[in-house]
Parts: sequence; structure tokens; C-alpha cells
Amino acid sequence: MNINYSRLSALIFLLFFIVYSYLASEIRVFAFDENADFNARTFPTFISYLGIFVSFLTLVLSKNEHEKLGHYEWLKVIVLFVLVFTYGIIIKSIGFFLSTNLFLMVAYYYLGVRSPKVIILSSIPVVAGLQFLLHELLDVYIRDPFLQAIGVIS
Amino acid sequence: MNEGILIGINTAFSGYNILMVMAGCFAGTIIGMLPGLGPMSAIALMIPITYGFDPASAMILMAGVYYGAIFGGSTSSILINAPGVAGTVSSSFDGYPMSQNGQAGKALAIAAYASFSGGTIAAIFLLIAAPQLAKVSLSFQSADYFALMCVGLLSIAAFASKGQFLKAMIMTALGLALATVGQDALSDITRFAFGNINLMDGISFVLLVMATFAMSEAFMIIFKKMDISFKASDVSKANLGSIKLSKAEVKEMAPVIGRSSVLGFLVGVLPGAGATIASFLAWGFERSIASAKDKLKFGKGSIKGLAAPETANNAACTGSFVPLLTLGIPGSGTTAVMLGALLSFGVQPGPRLYIEQPELFWAVIVSMYIGNVVLLFLNLPLIPYIARILAIPKNILVPLVLFFSVTGVYLISFNAFDIYFMAIVAFLSLVLRVLNYPMPPLILGFILGGMLEKNLRRAILINDGSFSFMWERPISLALFVVMIIIVLLQIYQGIQKNKT
Repeated sequence: MNINYSRLSALIFLLFFIVYSYLASEIRVFAFDENADFNARTFPTFISYLGIFVSFLTLVLSKNEHEKLGHYEWLKVIVLFVLVFTYGIIIKSIGFFLSTNLFLMVAYYYLGVRSPKVIILSSIPVVAGLQFLLHELLDVYIRDPFLQAIGVIS
Repeated sequence: MNEGILIGINTAFSGYNILMVMAGCFAGTIIGMLPGLGPMSAIALMIPITYGFDPASAMILMAGVYYGAIFGGSTSSILINAPGVAGTVSSSFDGYPMSQNGQAGKALAIAAYASFSGGTIAAIFLLIAAPQLAKVSLSFQSADYFALMCVGLLSIAAFASKGQFLKAMIMTALGLALATVGQDALSDITRFAFGNINLMDGISFVLLVMATFAMSEAFMIIFKKMDISFKASDVSKANLGSIKLSKAEVKEMAPVIGRSSVLGFLVGVLPGAGATIASFLAWGFERSIASAKDKLKFGKGSIKGLAAPETANNAACTGSFVPLLTLGIPGSGTTAVMLGALLSFGVQPGPRLYIEQPELFWAVIVSMYIGNVVLLFLNLPLIPYIARILAIPKNILVPLVLFFSVTGVYLISFNAFDIYFMAIVAFLSLVLRVLNYPMPPLILGFILGGMLEKNLRRAILINDGSFSFMWERPISLALFVVMIIIVLLQIYQGIQKNKT
């Protein structure tokens, strides 16, 4: 049996559902529920059986197809992923307005936009417009230390 | 029932809700037009906006987004042969050749009239069928609901799998597994949270939908180097031609619309089927019954070949609301997302919905008709302008989609953990999609997981721990037979595929 990406993914799912099955058996239930016909363990156990069965079948029945994953833009997606992660880290500390604008501007630049006019017009008005919509029309308050510091919101 | 319809009309025709339909159709058209972003992404992006709305207005907005996205998908299919939505792929077979022959305006008009007619006829069917089915489903018990949900999960896996049924079933199991994270609804025991306080309440439905659709679609655009903006900018400058149809053309379209509406509606009602299958079936059916002379025109700019899929996909969209509103079981991936949204509003769709919340039930149905009128009279004349949205380059579009996805999730919880978790889920979804694992079964499994467990628990407890309900109740038995047929069909197809 040759290993291809389909088989490899099926193997990972098989391991996942085996671990899930073990964790399901470890769910603590109340003493009076231990021998009940249906308790908190029952449904996850059924799911694990289904998952193990279908991932095992996929592992065995997958054809030997030559899949190539190298020609895709992996690096760009990973950088965007890191950018989203960083956005999550800074959003609380520097506030929604500044962090979102930074995220958008860096993302535009990284993806190849070089015109400062386009970068600014595609970020600041969009973020300001959304924040205005949220604050003024939908009554959703977003804490924003930066806008508070410059006196835009109270 | 009449009183309910009047309440629904009253609700749907309120100024606020008409505005919702218009906004939904407009937003849906724009998002549906963008290749890669389909109705599920469009609706997912709308969910955070609808928090704070009343459920009827939210559903009306989302329904508007749904058929707006289908209409938008047709536009990009016809103009640039880049279907924004899978359900409009068959529209490009004849729509794009028409566009290349300098009849883009006419092709868009045919699409709009056919969509309007299909949607309208299907809305009338829905008006008749939904209450009848709701009455029948009042006799359903937990065992029947459990069986029905299993049929829904299997059907979605079968139809969404594109020949990869086992992979679709893995995604279903994964969706069900993710639904078990957090507190068990009955015993309050926390499962699979690993002591993490952020997982105690379970995984957010909005987070999962946004990550697997909107955000992973945005990643996919970059990942696969998709770029159609230069073509789009050409189109937006081009003269689209007249949108007027001659009497002979209308006469040619009329019977096609009638047949495709019925076909589309029936396919839409089936769990798991939906707009894509309906549109392909309608195109194939019209081609098979066409005269030898007409048959030659199919694929080269046939009016019938464009009207059939356009009618069927809109009729199927409306049809897919029947199982959602009457049984609480979504008929497609998109209605599964809507079900999740409804549940998060505290509304449980099902047979009692039209008795207990007639304003919601009927307002959604009536708003579908309003939506079709909006698409015809508002969107069609605006198409040359809306088409310019296709000129947005991907390096602007992708960060904006990422921003709206992240903001949508953050605004619900104000918890940075959700952003990290979302990014990880989106990245994993991207990898899984590249390996041909379909996402709709995952979402349906996640949404139905809680209800499936609840109904299975009830059925087993009522039967003293026995699984005999599977063959003792006629409805359950019939549904389990359907499940066996679906599985056998998949095995048969797999064997046939291996032979060829």
C-alpha cells in the first residue's frame, strides 16, 4: 500500500477518532448515570465508532493518486494566518480601530498593493464606517483605548 | 392559517423588513458574484450583523442574501464564465456564449426573468406545501426525528461528496464530534473542554461557519492564485447590449420555466440535493426533450438552455426552505447555516413553528416573493454597475473578507481566543478542502449534533434501552430504508467508478 495525501489524512483521522473514543470513555458521569441506557458518554462513543469505521475504510480504499500540493501559495497563506493571529493578539491592547487598520494595511502591502492612496482608502474609511455603524446604529460598544485617548469616543 | 398568512404579510411588508430584503438581495448579489464566495459565505458574513435583530427580520435578511447570491453567481457565470456559486455553473453553458455573441444584456435579462418566475412559482408551492408537511410532521416522534436527521446527514454527504462519499462521512463524523465539545445539554457534564474555560460553552457555530467558509475561501483565493479581476474590468467597461426580450423569446421561455420550476422545487425539498443538482437536471432535461434542431443550440447560447437552470436553481432555493421550516431539518448546506442562526436566536424550527411563531414562518415565505421582485426590478437595471465589483483585485478583497470574518466572530464574544481558534480552523479547512474533504457535511453534522443526541436519547429511553424503534415505527423504518438505499447507491457508484 502506497502512502498518498488521502491515505495520510485518513490515517490522521483514524488516530483522531481512536483518541476521541478513548476520551469519550473517560468522560466522568454521575454515579447514578453510570449504568444508564444513555448517558453523556453514549453519543460520543457512537460518533467515535462511525469515525473509526469511515476513516479506516478511506485508508484502505483510497486509490494511489499522485496529488501535488507544492505548486500552491503556501507561504502567502501562512503569512496571512500569522497576520490574523497577530491581529488577535493586539486587538485587546491597542484597540479595534488601530489594530484593524494595521492588519488591513499590512495585508494589502504584503499582497502587492503599493499605492499609499489605495491602501489608506481601502482601510481607514472601511474601519471607521463599520465602527460608526456598530456604535451609532447597532448599539454595539467596542472598547477602544486609542479612540478614547484622542477623544473620539467617551 | 389565513390569519397566519396575514400576520406574515404584515410583518414582511413592514418598511424595516422590506429594507432588509433589499439589503439582503443587494449584499447577496455582490458577494455571490465574487468567484469563490458562495451563498454560505455570504450568509455566514451576515450572521454577526443580525445579532440584535428580531428573528423574523434576521431570517428575511438571510433569505434575501441567499437568492441574491444565486442571482449574483449567475451574473459572473454569464459575463465572465466564472460562476460565483456552484448552482450557477450550468447557467454558464449557454449564458456565456450569449455574452460572447454580444447578447450579455439579453442573457442577464433571461436569467433575471427566469429566476423571478422560478422563485415566484416555488414560493406558491411553498405556501401550499409547508403547512401540509408541518401538519404531517406533528405526528413525528423522537425516533422519527433521529432517523430523519440521519437521512439528512447521509444525503448531504452523498450529494456534497463529488464521488468522495467516505471523506464526506469523515467530515460528518468530525462535525458531530465537534458538537459534543462543551456542556452536555441534559446532565450539564462538561465534555472535551480539557479544562479550557473558552471551550466550556462549546464551539461557537458562527466561528465554525466563518472559519470553514468565509475565511478559508479567502485563503483559498490566495492559495490557488485565483484572479479574474482583469477580465472583470473589461466586462464592466463593455456595452452589455439590450435587456429587452422579444415576444417569440418569451414564448420560447414560458414552458421551460413551468417545467423547471416544478423540477427545481421538488429537488430543493429533498434533503441534501439543492440548487446545483436542480440546475444541472433542468438543463439536461430540457436538452433531452428539445427537438433535434434546438438540441444543437444547447451550449452555444440557447435561450432554453439558460432559462432552465436559472429557473430551477431559484425554485430549489425556495424548496430547500420546506424541510427547514417544517421539520427543522435543513435541505442544503446553506439552509443548515440558517438553521444554526435560527437556533442561536432561540428559535427552534419544526412543525410547531408555524403555529407558535406564524409571523416568522409566513414572513420568510412572503419575503421570498418580495425578494424576487427586488432582484428583478432593482438588481437587473443595476447589473452594469454592480458588475464593477468584479474588478476588485484579490489583494484588496482577501484582507477585507478576513477582516469581516474576524470582526464578525470577535463582536459576539469579545474574546481574542476565538480569533486564534478561528484562524486555526480556517487553515485546517483549507488543507482539508485541498484534499477533497467537503465542508457542508461538517457544518450539518455540527448543527444537527445536539438535536441528534437529544432525540436519540429520548428514543432509547422510551424504548427501555432498545434500538427496536428503528423497525417498530413505520416512519422510522421507512427512513432507515432510505438510508440503506443511499449507502447502497454510493457503494454501487464507487464500484462503477473503479471499473471505469
